[in-house]
Amino acid sequence: MKTYLMWAGMVLGGACLLILLWPREASSPEEDRALAEGRTIITYWDRHTGHEYDARVDLIEEFNRSQNEVYVRTLAIGPRIEKLLTAISGGAPPDICSMESSILASLGSQGCFTPLEDFMSSEPSLNESRFFPHVWKMVSFDGHVWAVPTTTDSTCLLWNKALFRRAGLDPERPPRTMKELDEFAAKLTIKEGARIKQIGFLPWLPWDETTGWGMIFGGTWYDEEKDRVVCGTDPHIIESLRWQQQYAYNPDRKDNKPYSIDPRWVSAAQGGGFGAYQSASNPFYTGMIAMIREGEWQVEFIRKYAPDLDWGVAALPQPEGAPPVAYSPNAVVDAIPKGSRNIEAAKAFLRWFYSPRANGGPSPASDYCFAIQNVPPRPEEARQERFIGHPKFSVFVNEVLTKPAEPFPVIPAAQFLMEEMERQRGRVTAFEATPEEAAMEIEKNTNAQLDRIRMLQGRRPQ
Amino acid sequence: MTRRERRNLVNGLLFASPYIVGFLAFTLYPLAATVYYSFCHYNVVTPPVWAGLDNYREMFALSGDNLFWKSLWNTLYFTVFSVPLGLALAIGLALLLNQKVFGISAYRTIFFLPSIVPLVASSVLWLWVLDPRSGLINSTLAQFGLPQPGWIADEYWSKPSLVLMSLWGVGGAMVIFLAGLADVPETLYEVAELDGAGRFRKFWNVTLPMLTPTILFNLVMGLIGAFQYFTQVFVMTAGRGTPNDTTMFYALYLYKMAFNFLRMGYASAMACVLFLIILAATLAVLISSKKWVHYYGD
Repeated sequence: MKTYLMWAGMVLGGACLLILLWPREASSPEEDRALAEGRTIITYWDRHTGHEYDARVDLIEEFNRSQNEVYVRTLAIGPRIEKLLTAISGGAPPDICSMESSILASLGSQGCFTPLEDFMSSEPSLNESRFFPHVWKMVSFDGHVWAVPTTTDSTCLLWNKALFRRAGLDPERPPRTMKELDEFAAKLTIKEGARIKQIGFLPWLPWDETTGWGMIFGGTWYDEEKDRVVCGTDPHIIESLRWQQQYAYNPDRKDNKPYSIDPRWVSAAQGGGFGAYQSASNPFYTGMIAMIREGEWQVEFIRKYAPDLDWGVAALPQPEGAPPVAYSPNAVVDAIPKGSRNIEAAKAFLRWFYSPRANGGPSPASDYCFAIQNVPPRPEEARQERFIGHPKFSVFVNEVLTKPAEPFPVIPAAQFLMEEMERQRGRVTAFEATPEEAAMEIEKNTNAQLDRIRMLQGRRPQ
Repeated sequence: MTRRERRNLVNGLLFASPYIVGFLAFTLYPLAATVYYSFCHYNVVTPPVWAGLDNYREMFALSGDNLFWKSLWNTLYFTVFSVPLGLALAIGLALLLNQKVFGISAYRTIFFLPSIVPLVASSVLWLWVLDPRSGLINSTLAQFGLPQPGWIADEYWSKPSLVLMSLWGVGGAMVIFLAGLADVPETLYEVAELDGAGRFRKFWNVTLPMLTPTILFNLVMGLIGAFQYFTQVFVMTAGRGTPNDTTMFYALYLYKMAFNFLRMGYASAMACVLFLIILAATLAVLISSKKWVHYYGD
């Protein structure tokens, strides 16, 4: 009798535990209500965090209030690829996820997402003709359209006017050619013996942008027709690497420039001395760096972290004779992963987010771009007064509106290419490799990676 | 087999089943799958494609810029310095904390504490300590007008920084050495004293030999841990192995290959090779131990 009682107790206890731990469909009172109303709950994973995530949540709450069919639950997962990759391969993905276009390129080519070309061509505001061509390139490859672009970016030169004045330069006149950029950098770099008091300009700050410089010099990284990385012998790309190299100080050489800085000192400063990028101690805000290559989000960042900074913004200078180009490397995009159980509800949300509001007001997507100060991926929205009317933001927007824009190469090995470029540029500026060798290594290594991916796709023989 | 025996067998298996199921599903299967995938091109989301020895051939290629070799070199460097230094420090601390003085258990706790701080938390803490401009170490050095290296951000100092940091966590080994010290029979010290041995001779000829079984254990565990070094460097360099790949450790490179570049096949091959390296190192230590490990009573 006693043993039976014990067994019954154990079974009962186990059952209670199971009920307690059993995953519930709703995880908040709002979701309970949504379920009671018979709504479909879908999950949205946001690439953004912090104030950028808050702006998204505000709009999603607006959507949840605006109708009673679908309820969107949000989660900020950040920019890394791992969570998305494991969720998709484990068969438990979110219904919609936002991500960088480079991640879309890696995962999209493996068939991780639901093709959206039919959906988008049937939506008037999501037609191909609505988007900047370079942004459309980022979401359409391998014969499908994989995602809806939410934001894109634009790169310009920012300068600190106070430091210009102190160096005897006209604070209202930025450098217009590469030669001028170097001359200004020389005047703005202040060294005291081995100590660096002020950096005039450094091509790889705030982070490596070897792709961008290559394009600005007129080079081509990737040949779409041949589906190969072709930078190895491109004279413009090699030239751009050589230009970056002369910004690196080398104690063994006599041809150091006044603006050359020891790359070891820079990486040490990046490891701490510079202060966090998204904070008041960002080295551009503190006056440690006089000129810097930056994106349009700085309009909001500087307002927030360094409201007293006296700064200017202008197009990035280009070498003489190089064709004008706007560098717009990335987009943040929304995609529906394969394995989503609520595709129709996900599309209903996307339709609402990207279409003008029922009262004729701007789309929630453009409100979102405005809230986080990113360039809208649709020219019509980029021309709204709130973007184009802002004296500084308009400089960024005009870049993509008036010049042919180039994105980061849209290849499934994008993630690899990005890191490979930074690595090889690091070897060049450490004088471990010549620009020619580095360009060749980038081409060789990335093509090997690309070949393996294409082989798995069945598009190239083993 | 009688009825009773059969029943016992069934009951025994039933009670052991949580472990057996767990072992089969979460240890044996992944292990076997790793070996299989190491011979495949596999990106996690589409089915694997047989690749023969491709992954291994690529891994061992001697091209000038193969990160595999660099990551192996970084890992060996770290292992060769951090393991012996860690052992020496742990023994030293154990000897100091084996004195009969007031409040000794408090001292022991203090020295043990760092080893139970979660790795991610201690890594972030060390990022602050090693900060080249405003970190604890460099601001102290600056007070005395001494040169201030870039520590984790400098390519010449990054690995030594990590070795230094690893010494902070020797508390675990220290506790085991303390237990080992408690096991050294008093009689041996008495005999040594009768023979006229001083402090150093007692340490060298009694304590150290009697500690060798404990040293062996800590050495093997230390080796395995050092070869798999990952968390700290992943946190401190945001998974990038910076600067200039000087902290690109084997396990970090493996992780990058698997989860950032979707090359699970290559990563599996790396895992198999790491397994063999650790196996060889452990066997070498165990075989050599016959020559230098002494058990009381042998």
